Amino acid sequence: MTREALLLHTLVELADNLVDDFDVIDVLTVLSDRCVDTLDVAAAGVMLASPAGDLQVVASSNEAMRVLELFQLQADEGPCVDCFNDGGAIVNLELSTTDGRWPRFTPLALAGGFHSVHCLPMRLRGRTIGALNMFRSDRGALEDADVQAAQGLADVATIAILQHQAALNAQALNDQLNFALTSRVLIEQAKGKISEACHVDMVVAFQRLRNHARNHNLGLTELARGVAEGAVNPIALDPLKTRR
Amino acid sequence: MEERLTRILLLLSEGGEALPGPTRLCQVAAEVTAMDGAGLVLLSDGRFQGVLCGGDVVSETLAELEFALGEGPCLDAWALDGPVFEPDLASPFPYGRWPAFAPAGTDAGARAVFGFPVHVGAARLGAIGLYRDQTGPLGDEQHADALVMADVVARAILSLQAGAALGTVGAELATGANFQAVVHQASGMVSVQVGEGVGDALVRLRAHAYGTDCTITEVATEVVARRLRFDPLEGEETGGGVPLPGVR
Repeated sequence: MTREALLLHTLVELADNLVDDFDVIDVLTVLSDRCVDTLDVAAAGVMLASPAGDLQVVASSNEAMRVLELFQLQADEGPCVDCFNDGGAIVNLELSTTDGRWPRFTPLALAGGFHSVHCLPMRLRGRTIGALNMFRSDRGALEDADVQAAQGLADVATIAILQHQAALNAQALNDQLNFALTSRVLIEQAKGKISEACHVDMVVAFQRLRNHARNHNLGLTELARGVAEGAVNPIALDPLKTRR
Repeated sequence: MEERLTRILLLLSEGGEALPGPTRLCQVAAEVTAMDGAGLVLLSDGRFQGVLCGGDVVSETLAELEFALGEGPCLDAWALDGPVFEPDLASPFPYGRWPAFAPAGTDAGARAVFGFPVHVGAARLGAIGLYRDQTGPLGDEQHADALVMADVVARAILSLQAGAALGTVGAELATGANFQAVVHQASGMVSVQVGEGVGDALVRLRAHAYGTDCTITEVATEVVARRLRFDPLEGEETGGGVPLPGVR
């Protein structure tokens, strides 16, 4: 299956959940299942970093304990931890060649019948928020096209998670955005008033505003509002100390 | 629904960013709706807070016209909290609806304009403006695409803001955005000159821009450069003895 076809197919499934009542775990489970169905892998799981920074398994294509254990173990050690810490993909890693790097993970994976492992980072703003983890039963490499397709799925999962988080926090984020935008307007208006009233340029006007706010332990936005709305006379602001 | 969303998400992911910025959002908005351009305006309490246009000059001009004239499709979409359609901007009807915006928007190169509110539930963020250089209605497909796109844009904007420090605008959101700083500075200056509030000062700037066929940004730039002053008594502007380059 081509990357485009795979993405399209999966997206249609994901989109069902994405719009209203969407459960992020559902979306990520669809993604994991899709990896197993269309790529040459035996098990797939999505690991996300908790706010504290450790990896947690949030979705798996396979609920068998031995598979879940493999994912869970990677909170401490394993290729996913390395992928997450470095932000780089780990592809076609033969577990027989890892030489005691992961003393608990490798034996457990091999005992489970998995011979190679792949981890693809889920990236956002240069930061890695999690990883897509896949296991193969066979030796031998995953094809480049499959790796690309899997990375595409990891990218889509990242967008889905973000869209979900944004919707959850919509009111708070919008209030925050409005506050920030309004602050900007008030500060610019206050600068204009100070500039005109005190015959200084905008740079000095801003320095006076900030200086006065600091001297009197006022918030910059609060003081800017006072000046812009006329409650504070710009001429009454503390003068700047002149450097000699 | 799913197919529309799929197409939009695919287009967005082609940019190679998990978090597409305003530029990409506007490009995709224009692309999925088969328009010539799209612009995004952020509003709160019906006031313009910023314009994000992704480098599309006509969209940017249209947004600035709405800001300067206080009327147009984005402001109406915000006020109605629903889509606004104007398939023929130069026809007599929009002149009644937007007596100042319609001719100015036509001059700027738009023949049809559409506005869609951008919101997530009760959180209202702003509006998307779409334009085409040919007259004609928005088809059912395009209409449906625009509604889904507006949803995606709303969430994307919030995602872009999610990383920002308290009291600041998200860096990716601010990139390429026009927050009209010079206009707000000029409002402050004119407010002192005429002894009125900053809101009334902004109205003066708008009126002057309209009367002199300048953009509000041009007028504001002249004020901040101290080449243009407003008189408190007659409300007429004076040149302060210096010629007014840039003010026609």
